[in-house]
Amino acid sequence: MSAPASKRGPLSRALMQMREDLWLQGVAISTLTVALAIMGVYLVVAFNLHQSLAHMLGGPSLTLVLAAQASPQRGQELAAELSRVPQVKQARYVDRAEALERFRRQLGPHRRLLDDLQENPLPDTVEVVLAPGIAPGQELMAQLQSRLDVAEVVASRPWLHRLEQAANTAGDLALALGILLFLGVVLMVSNTVRLAVHARRDHLELMALVGATRGYMRRPFLVEAVLQGLAAAALASLVVWALSLVLSAPSKLPLGLQLQQLVTYPRLLPLVLAGLAVLAGLMGGFLGVGRTLRLRGSV
Amino acid sequence: MITLEAVSKIYPGRREAALQEVSLQVPPGEFVYLTGPSGAGKTTLLRLLYGAELATEGRVLVGGTDVSRLPPRRLPSLRRRLGVVFQEFRLLPKQSVFENVALSLRVAGLRGTPLLQRVEEVLEQVKLSDLAQAAAGTLSGGEQQRVALARALAPGPALILADEPTGNLDPDNALMIMRLLVGDYVGGATVVVATHDPTLLSLVRGARVIHLQQGRLEQVA
Repeated sequence: MSAPASKRGPLSRALMQMREDLWLQGVAISTLTVALAIMGVYLVVAFNLHQSLAHMLGGPSLTLVLAAQASPQRGQELAAELSRVPQVKQARYVDRAEALERFRRQLGPHRRLLDDLQENPLPDTVEVVLAPGIAPGQELMAQLQSRLDVAEVVASRPWLHRLEQAANTAGDLALALGILLFLGVVLMVSNTVRLAVHARRDHLELMALVGATRGYMRRPFLVEAVLQGLAAAALASLVVWALSLVLSAPSKLPLGLQLQQLVTYPRLLPLVLAGLAVLAGLMGGFLGVGRTLRLRGSV
Repeated sequence: MITLEAVSKIYPGRREAALQEVSLQVPPGEFVYLTGPSGAGKTTLLRLLYGAELATEGRVLVGGTDVSRLPPRRLPSLRRRLGVVFQEFRLLPKQSVFENVALSLRVAGLRGTPLLQRVEEVLEQVKLSDLAQAAAGTLSGGEQQRVALARALAPGPALILADEPTGNLDPDNALMIMRLLVGDYVGGATVVVATHDPTLLSLVRGARVIHLQQGRLEQVA
């Protein structure tokens, strides 16, 4: 009789019962891996869309083109002045040299096209980011237009406001879809645990007979579900990482976009999946064991 | 130790009662044989005692606890004070003899050296020390029943319930099991043995014999 045999906490009991049925473990972990991988892909898509939207929505919604005679100092003053307007989130003076440099960067491999320019054709501007929910309406534009040294006000992306509204709605839908996916994972865990309970019903009946409480019988199943969830989360992270590698292989899209710039693998994804797996393991474990553990009638 | 007051049990979907108005008192430390043909209600009576079934009518008291009204959450504490042995052993066949015996102690919260010592002690009593690490499923019928008995005795129960404990055993093994159910081995516990084998009745001196017939208590000898 070895000393370690005398110690049987929930973890030890869970590992012991997992060893007894490796086939069941394989089925449970692979099923959960598929479910968590779907969840992972969803999270990657949501993360990348969110990043792209944040990038787009974070850009200027109005551009104030300054009159040719306006000095850089006047441009700075105007930007500071506009920053204090309630509807404005941020205002920044961009001189023509910076604008040209930015344009050069945006052209990427075609930047040499600008080398033949005799002079910089771009004007000095003040870029204005409006506060969330503020639309670049006619009234606001007229108000800005009336300022000294402003030659023109350009609503650089008039669709931005509508995109912002659509993004908010899409965010709510995405959250609902995410919750549904998570509930799907919980139900899957619950069914796997129910299967495990069924496979070990003789053992459980015996435990009930010698005075085990429901909690004592339930704990190893919860630990088992969490361990399976963690293993599945690790595998699912690998699957999603491999998929993102394939998708981010250099391939040109229309408008000169690169797919690899649109698909980023979030570094925290394995942790997020592990957290969701632990939560799903606990919830699914409770649901799965639930009323299947009977102390009366079955023994 | 045990008090039954006009206990009846009718299983759902059945017209005939498995037990009909059975009243009985068993003082602590007494050895009781529960006899009768198959279907007489012996197993039902035992199941009422360890809370596997609820009485349809009447009261079942075990050690002062009214089992007939016990909510499920309080069953574990009752069962830790009982030892139950079945005809078909009901062991964990893939687990060792040690683990099978230790089960009832672990459930009661015993750990470490006290657990090891207690299991060794009980295995010594049932003469199975040499087979402690053997898988229970590989043992003979007699050995398996001794493991089941060791599991029931390990926590030192105040009441031992045995349902046809020798039903699957040859006469020698049956004798050995019955010897283990009396005297010092059970530490003064009350013992109730259900059997339809009349040859067992002479094995325990001074035992009370309670005869059941079609769910009714017919004779107390």
